[in-house]
Amino acid sequence: MSKIRNAIYEIHHMDTIASKDQWVNQIHPLVKFVLTIVYIATVVSYDKYDIIGLAGMMVYPLAMFILAELSFKDSLKRLRVVLPLVCVIGIFNPFFDRVPVQIGGLTINAGVISMITLMIKGVFTVLASYLLIATTSIEKLCFAFRLIHIPKILVTQILLTYRYITVLLEEVNRITQAYALRAPNQKGVHFKVWGSLTGQLLLRSMDRAGVVYESMTLRGYNGNFDYMGAKIRWRWQDILFAAVWLCIFWVFRKIPVIIVIGNLVGGLFG
Amino acid sequence: MHMADALVAPAVAGTMYVLSAAAAGYSVKKVRLESEPKKIPVMGIMGAFVFATQMINFTIPGTGSSGHLCGGMLLSALLGPYAGFLTMIGVLLIQCLLFADGGILALGCNIWNMAFYGCFLGSLLIWKPMMSKGITKAKIVAASILGCVITLQFGAFSVTLETMASGITSLPFGTFVATMQPIHLAIGFVEGLITAAVLVFVHEARPELLYCSTEAEKKEGRFTFKNTLVVLAVVTVLIGGGLSLVASSNPDGLEWSIEKITGSTEVESDGEIYDTVGSVQETTALLPDYAFKGSESSFGTTFSGVVGSVIVVGVCVGACYAFKFFRKKKA
Amino acid sequence: MSHIHIDVEHVSFAYEKKKEILKDICFHAGETDSIGLVGANGVGKSTLLKLLVGLDLGFTGSIRVEEVPVQKETLPQIREKIGYVFQDSDSQLFMSTAFEDIAFAPRNYGLPEAEVEHRVNAALEMTGITYLKDKQIYKMSGGEKKLVSIATILSMTPDIILMDEPSIALDPRNRRNLIRILNSFEHLKIIASHDLDMVWDTCERTILMANGEIICDGPTKEVLSNQELLEANGLELPLFMQKR
Repeated sequence: MSKIRNAIYEIHHMDTIASKDQWVNQIHPLVKFVLTIVYIATVVSYDKYDIIGLAGMMVYPLAMFILAELSFKDSLKRLRVVLPLVCVIGIFNPFFDRVPVQIGGLTINAGVISMITLMIKGVFTVLASYLLIATTSIEKLCFAFRLIHIPKILVTQILLTYRYITVLLEEVNRITQAYALRAPNQKGVHFKVWGSLTGQLLLRSMDRAGVVYESMTLRGYNGNFDYMGAKIRWRWQDILFAAVWLCIFWVFRKIPVIIVIGNLVGGLFG
Repeated sequence: MHMADALVAPAVAGTMYVLSAAAAGYSVKKVRLESEPKKIPVMGIMGAFVFATQMINFTIPGTGSSGHLCGGMLLSALLGPYAGFLTMIGVLLIQCLLFADGGILALGCNIWNMAFYGCFLGSLLIWKPMMSKGITKAKIVAASILGCVITLQFGAFSVTLETMASGITSLPFGTFVATMQPIHLAIGFVEGLITAAVLVFVHEARPELLYCSTEAEKKEGRFTFKNTLVVLAVVTVLIGGGLSLVASSNPDGLEWSIEKITGSTEVESDGEIYDTVGSVQETTALLPDYAFKGSESSFGTTFSGVVGSVIVVGVCVGACYAFKFFRKKKA
Repeated sequence: MSHIHIDVEHVSFAYEKKKEILKDICFHAGETDSIGLVGANGVGKSTLLKLLVGLDLGFTGSIRVEEVPVQKETLPQIREKIGYVFQDSDSQLFMSTAFEDIAFAPRNYGLPEAEVEHRVNAALEMTGITYLKDKQIYKMSGGEKKLVSIATILSMTPDIILMDEPSIALDPRNRRNLIRILNSFEHLKIIASHDLDMVWDTCERTILMANGEIICDGPTKEVLSNQELLEANGLELPLFMQKR
């Protein structure tokens, strides 16, 4: 099943680019996490017809792609999950929201605008979270989570799940491949073996959890997980980075920068 | 069923984050009380297990399509509601970060829609009461299907509510509900069957792994009943509140929320979404303050928009390259 | 007599009542002993190792590690002294990077961070994998994972090392590296393995087990060259001794 291979590849790939020795990658994970949330919240807070105001928010992904030296093409893949969903929801807007609007001499439905706005929001938000995870590893994010007092048990759980996802994906890959080789004409898993195929895997995973637990206790684990001793320190660049972006978000949200500049230029020529 | 960031408004996302965080906080407390150190590795690995097995295609007999495993119900039948819920949070977070399946802002919604219903409803209201007098194969099948169908129905309804409350679609509420619920009825049924198959297998091979397998005789009674009542009450209030907010014929409810949510002073007059009243107002409300003197026609606005965009892009790209250039020079 | 030693006396063990996995096991191991634990599949080698660190406790008889009896109350004390390498590295390595995993035990024993770092670096050097320090576990090959697993227990500076099938899934070069590491560890070590050639190269003494019992306990060179004895107990001569 190539889907699983893809997923494994994707995890490896994200990890490689996140651990690049880059300026953006070294910014404090908490700064990037908070900025991402603020950015996404700002983007979705735009009115559903405010297409031009929203367009201004492109500065963040644009700048970050250049600064982090990331390939824009790579990120497009991630849109394929979100865009169809957004389109399904948005596609009805032109039919139900038939208020005519004049744009550049053309008359269109307001619903068309809200549909486009929605899609732009979809693209921007996905790009923003891509930029976060492409410059910050899960371990560093978990470190940030601890700083904002997300309970240890939850963070540990996230780290452990992340650690074993690849192990189990490989296992699922093997089991489904072995199945497919002996059942060449089936697209998926036949319902007669639904339980036993997955159940076997489940029992093995439980056994594995048992061994992991043994391995932990043998090394002094007593219910308290201690990790990330290598602290990530704050630097003045982190604060500056956060401040600059927060200002930019605020200015773009408050003032329709694009129109102001456009009018200024228009005024020069007109 | 993963909500995308673009589909939620900040206020909705925030509300759902608070609700999910409350449920998570309660679960953390509960799991800590159980203080079983072994539970942590089990949770971690079961999270990875759910993640990985959701990639298996299960052929649905008689059709060409395939179904997938229902993580919430499976976890709640194995780990119980609290540990199961925390495990699902981990799964959802990693899905959203690594695969853009759901969004960071919408994570609170997704945790609620999938993990909360799947684990709390599925475990406390369905699994536990049904298994309290011993576990049988038939009861497992019934509980799995019932659990998956009901939790997915709740989840799908919440998706609808959250999307409507976010005010991003013009789709009428009724149409939305009428599409979402039946689809998820079918999905829930298939997921329930797959989950049942797995749980029956576990029951035959290693029954002690199932939640309630040992507790069945020991501590049943008022404790469960109280929990059940609390959950029921919370859910009822939430659903009731959401329903009255959205379905009420009084447009103020939604208008108020849109205003709050968008922070925009130009409230569209489409309190009832398919209401086309006030088209004139609408037209003027579109891009309202942006037309400045000398460019009052909509053509002027468009022109300004295009020129402004080009310049912003230019400045942004230029600034970034300049920044990088100077950094390199310094280094 | 030095303080590092294990005494196992009349130990029997069964998961289920009727099926005994270990029957009346007795042996003593001293500070400089290197013991190969050999026997066909399912004779109880792994179970015996697990009993030594108290992963299973329902045994009869007595096991003492450095005069401390193995029982529930003494487990933390005993486990601090023993490093146990599991057969499956993926189960042993649950942290994200080699560093984090190797630091797990020292941190749990409450060492200051500077000391933890020192221990990790020492363990990495001993196993010759300093270059893997910050590498993600899931990106490693089977051989790399095994070496990291060994480093995770070396960072505890154990008195005693127990290993369950360490050479499985290793390529020839990594296997040679493993043998080098084992030989450089001077204290007591017990290695359960089917790889008789490796046992030959690393262990002075060999315990042969069959059906949950110790059949023979003697110098490796004698036990592993006794074709008759080996074949009677489901084994064969080490490969390098076999005639083609």
